[in-house]
Amino acid sequence: MSDPMPNPRFAFAGHLTAIGSLVAGAGITLMPKDDLALATVIARKGQAGVLGERVQALFGIPLPARPKRAAAGKIAFIGTGPGQWLAIEESSGDPQSFAAKLATEFAGSGSVCDQSDGRAVIRVSGPRARHVLAKGLPVDLHPRAFGPGDAALSQIALISTLLWQIDEAPTYEIAVFRSMAGSFADWLIASGAEYGIAAMS
Amino acid sequence: MQIECPFCGKRDAHEFAYLGDATVARPDPAVPDAARAFYEYVYLRDNPAGSHRELWYHSAGCHSWLVVTRDTRTHAIETIAQVGAR
Ligand SMILES: [Zn+2]
Repeated sequence: MSDPMPNPRFAFAGHLTAIGSLVAGAGITLMPKDDLALATVIARKGQAGVLGERVQALFGIPLPARPKRAAAGKIAFIGTGPGQWLAIEESSGDPQSFAAKLATEFAGSGSVCDQSDGRAVIRVSGPRARHVLAKGLPVDLHPRAFGPGDAALSQIALISTLLWQIDEAPTYEIAVFRSMAGSFADWLIASGAEYGIAAMS
Repeated sequence: MQIECPFCGKRDAHEFAYLGDATVARPDPAVPDAARAFYEYVYLRDNPAGSHRELWYHSAGCHSWLVVTRDTRTHAIETIAQVGAR
């Protein structure tokens, strides 16, 4: 008897059911981003310049040297440390192929590791998004200090988080380690309850 | 106390882990009196009241190692530099 193949299960599946149906006039809207291909990219010693040229040539994206998100089309690179990035492909039908493609293209200049099943990403938006994040994130998200294209690595409720801002709605996206998706969803729901939460799939 | 990470910007000290003195160098284990040199390296650390060069790790952020020159009496920070920047 052969082992059955496990069914794919999205990281936030079942964790947002407590929210129930769409709340009219909700202050916060949550949307899991299940269709992302994710990969960490680390420049080889002395090769950050070469890697930046490869990324520019392949995707037309200037590789950010700061905690910033730079995107073009379906591809984005987010600076996560000196010489380190999280690479993202939206609406990926085959997440693992993204990291494999990057690894081939960056051979000699960058090390690539597939994180599509390792991180869980959720979109947090709405007029009270800043208020709920301020309850846990020790980073100033006021528009004067943080805007679209900015990113930050920090912690929320002791959970390591990578957050980046998409637009001035404001819309944020937050990546956590996949095994923390349930705990992070619990924190979001408890902290956002007073503002009204809507969940989108 | 806040530490201005060269990559992340100003963050609360709770995001960082403290390693200690950045001025000491690991002894050569091949030298004849290595045991004594390691004893001094590991245990006999200075505890200055005033300016101190020390290693901090941005564990809750970008995972950079930093050399921070800090006044241990006031927590005033003079300089911050990245260790081994790529
Ligand atoms: Zn940092």
